[in-house]
Amino acid sequence: MSPQVYRVVVNGELGPRYASAFEGMTISAASGKTEITGTIMDQSHLLGLLERISGLGLKLHSVTPLDNGNGESGTHHAPTTRS
Amino acid sequence: MPPRVHPGMLRRARLLEMLDGEGGTPLTVLNAAVGYGKTTLVRSWCIERPEAVIWITLDPVDDDAARLWTHLATGLERLGQGLGRGALAALGTRGAPVEAAVDELMNGLVRHGRPVTIVLDDLHTVSSEASLRSIRHAIERLPANVRLLASTRSDPPIGLGRLRARRALAEIRARELAFTVDEACQLLVHEGIALSGESVELLVERTEGWPAGLYLAALWLRDLDDPNGEVRAFAGSAREVGDYLTDEVLTALAPDTRDFLLRTSVLGRFTPDLCDAVLGRSDSAAVLGQLARSNMFLVALDARGEWYRYHHLFGEVLQLELGGDAAHGLRRRAAAWCRAQGLVEDAIEFSAAAGDSEMVAELLLEHHLQFIWGGRLGQFLGWIQWLPSELLLSHPLLPVSGAAAAALVSRPEVEIQRLFAVADRARREQPQLWSPYVETAVEVTRAEMIEGGDVGAAVEHGRRAMTAARAGADMLTVGVLASLSQALFFAGDLDEARQIAVAAVERPDAPEVPDGHVGALGLLALIDAEQGRSGSAEAWARQAIGFARQRFQADSWVASLAHLGLALACASADRLDEAEREAVRGERLRRTQQPTVGHAHALLVLAQVRIARSRLARAARDLQHAQRAIADFPDPGRLPAIAATVEQTLAAAQTIAGKRELVEEPSPAELAVLRGLAAGLSRREIGAELYISLNTVKSHTRELYRKLGATSQVDAVARADALGLLEPSESPG
Repeated sequence: MSPQVYRVVVNGELGPRYASAFEGMTISAASGKTEITGTIMDQSHLLGLLERISGLGLKLHSVTPLDNGNGESGTHHAPTTRS
Repeated sequence: MPPRVHPGMLRRARLLEMLDGEGGTPLTVLNAAVGYGKTTLVRSWCIERPEAVIWITLDPVDDDAARLWTHLATGLERLGQGLGRGALAALGTRGAPVEAAVDELMNGLVRHGRPVTIVLDDLHTVSSEASLRSIRHAIERLPANVRLLASTRSDPPIGLGRLRARRALAEIRARELAFTVDEACQLLVHEGIALSGESVELLVERTEGWPAGLYLAALWLRDLDDPNGEVRAFAGSAREVGDYLTDEVLTALAPDTRDFLLRTSVLGRFTPDLCDAVLGRSDSAAVLGQLARSNMFLVALDARGEWYRYHHLFGEVLQLELGGDAAHGLRRRAAAWCRAQGLVEDAIEFSAAAGDSEMVAELLLEHHLQFIWGGRLGQFLGWIQWLPSELLLSHPLLPVSGAAAAALVSRPEVEIQRLFAVADRARREQPQLWSPYVETAVEVTRAEMIEGGDVGAAVEHGRRAMTAARAGADMLTVGVLASLSQALFFAGDLDEARQIAVAAVERPDAPEVPDGHVGALGLLALIDAEQGRSGSAEAWARQAIGFARQRFQADSWVASLAHLGLALACASADRLDEAEREAVRGERLRRTQQPTVGHAHALLVLAQVRIARSRLARAARDLQHAQRAIADFPDPGRLPAIAATVEQTLAAAQTIAGKRELVEEPSPAELAVLRGLAAGLSRREIGAELYISLNTVKSHTRELYRKLGATSQVDAVARADALGLLEPSESPG
C-alpha cells in the first residue's frame, strides 16, 4: 500500500485560524481558493479529511492526486487499498 | 422533545409552507451542508403544528439499530402507554432481527391513530448497515397517519432514487434552504440593520444565501456605523465567507467576551458553574445569559438555562483558535469539575476528549457498579474497549467488569472471552494486582453465563466466587448467591439451590442489585413450581416481575426465570392460556444467537406447558430444538433428564390423541370452526367471526367430534393438532 499526495481545493481563502484544522497538511490560499496539500495514507484518511472540510462549513472544489514530482497524475483515483 | 427555537431566528414562512405542502408524502428529507438551518426549520415547524412529534437527534454514538428503535419506541410510549411495548419487547428478544421491532412500532403507530411526525435529525451520522436497513424497512411500512422527516448533510443510502420514482419522497435541498433576497431583508430589518437594496443583493450573492453566513453577517453589521460600506468590502474580498465573518464578529467583541467564547467552545456542552470552574470566573451566568439573548449561536439545551452549547459550526470554528494543549487543559478541568459534581458520564466524556485515558480508567473503576447495576452497560463496555491495553492490564478489574457487562447484554461469547483473556494475562504478569474482589467478579460472571455449556464448571465457578466474596467482596454477594443458585438448579441440586436463593433474597442489600435479586426470586418461583408449591411460586414470580419492571430490567434475560416459574405455576392451576403466554415470554427473553443452557431449559418448560395445552406439534418442535442444543453441551446438568420426561409426556399425549382413527376428513367450514375453538373463542364469537349462526357453529362442532373421534373440545383440538389440521400461523402470540 503506498500513500498518495493529494491536493484538495476549497472555495474562499482561509485565514491563519485554519492552520491547525488539517493535521499534517499544508494550507495555501490564493486567487479566491485555498489548497490543502499533503500525503494521504488511505481511503479512510481521505474520507476523514473531506468530512472535516464539510463539518467546517467549507465548500469543496476539487480533489486531485499528485504524482511525486507534484504535477498532476492525470487520473482521478484514490489509493486503492481499503483499510 | 424538539429543541427550542431562538427568538432571533427568522420564521421562514416560505419553507414552512413547503413542508406543509409535502404532507402527503411519507418521507421528507432536508438535505444540505451544515449551517443551512435544517434543524431550526424542522423545530419551528413542529412547534407550530398540533400533531404529536417523536424527535430523535442521531449521533455516531447512537449508530446502533437497537438503540435507534429503542429511542423511537420509548418516544411512542410517551404518546400513549402501551403503544411502544410490542416494539420494546421485540428489542429485548436477543437474536431477533430489528425489523420485528420496527413492525411492532408501526402497529403501535396505527393503534395511536392520530397524525404523528417522526423526526430523525442528523441522519448523516448513521452509517451502520443494520440501522440503515431498518430505516429502509420502516419507510416501506409507514402507516397513513405517520410522516417521517429527516435532516441530513449528505444523501443517505436508503434508496432515495426508488422513493423519488414512486413519489414517496419530498426533498428540500440547499437551493430551497438558501435565503432569498426577500428573506435576507426580513432578517436584517428584524435586527435593525439599515442596508440598501443593492447591499442586500451583494450580501446574498456573496454568501450564496447560506443561512449561517447571513446570521453571522447580521451579528456583525448591527453594531456598525457604515454597514453598506462594510458589505461592499466584504463582497470584494476573496476570503472564505465563514472565516471573514467570524473574524469580524470576534473582533467587534469585548476582549473578555471573546476570550470567554473561545475558551468555552472546547467544552461541547456546559453550565454557568462549569464555565466558572474551568475559566476561574464567577460571572459566567451573566455572560451566558447576555450571549444567549444577543447571539443566536448559543443554544440553551434546557428550559431552565442550565446547559448550553454552541451551534456546531460556530463551535468548530472557534475551537480552531486555541491550540491543542490549551483545549486539553480546559477539558481536563471540566472533567475534574464534573467528577466533583457527581456527573460521572460527563467527566468521562471530557476526559476522553482530552485524551486522558488514565482519568477515564479511574472513573470507570470507581463507578463500575453504578454502571452495571444501573443498566448503563453499552456505554460502559464501549469506554472499556476504548482504553489502551496497558491500562487494562494494570487494572484487571476493568476487563473483568467489561466481561460482566458484555455477558449481561448477551454479547457473543468470543467477545467476552477476549476480555477474560486480557484479565488472565494481567493475573499471570502481575499477580499482586489480583484481589479477592477481582477474583469474585471473574468467577461470578463465568458462573452466571454457564460458560461453554458446562453446568458442573458453573457450579465450581460459583463456589469459588463465594469464597472470594467472603474474603473481600461483600457487596457482590447477592449476585454471587443468585448465580450459584442458578448453576445448582441446572445441576439438579434443588434443595441447596433454594436455600441459597432464599439467602440472596433475604439480604438487606438485595434490592440494590437488580440482576441478582430478580434472578434469585425467579429461581425460587421455578423451584417452588416444580416441587408443587404453586401458590408460593406465583408470589415469588410476581414479585420478581414487578421489581424487574420498576428497575427497567423487564426485558433482560434475568426476568425470564420468573416468567418460566409463573408459567409452571399457572399450568398446575390449570390456567393454561396464561401459562403458555408466560412460557413464551420467558423463552423469548432467553434467546441468544448461540445455544445456551438457560435457553434450552426455557424451551423445555415451554414444551411442557404446550403439551398440557394440547399443542403437541409445537411442543414437539420446542423439544427438538432443546435436544439439539443439549447434545452439544459438555455438561448439561439435569437438562437431559428433564428432556426425557418431556419426551415421555409428549409421546403419551400423542398416543391418546392419535389412538382413534380419523373417521372422516372435516370440511373446510368445520375446520374454520375448529380453529376458532383452538384459539379459545367461544361459540358465539366463532359465529360472529365466520358470519354463521350459533346453531350452525354447534352443529359443525358436533360433526367435528364425530369425524375426529373426539369426546370433548380439548380432545378434538389435541387430535386435530396431532394430525396437523390446525394452521401453523395460529398462535396465542
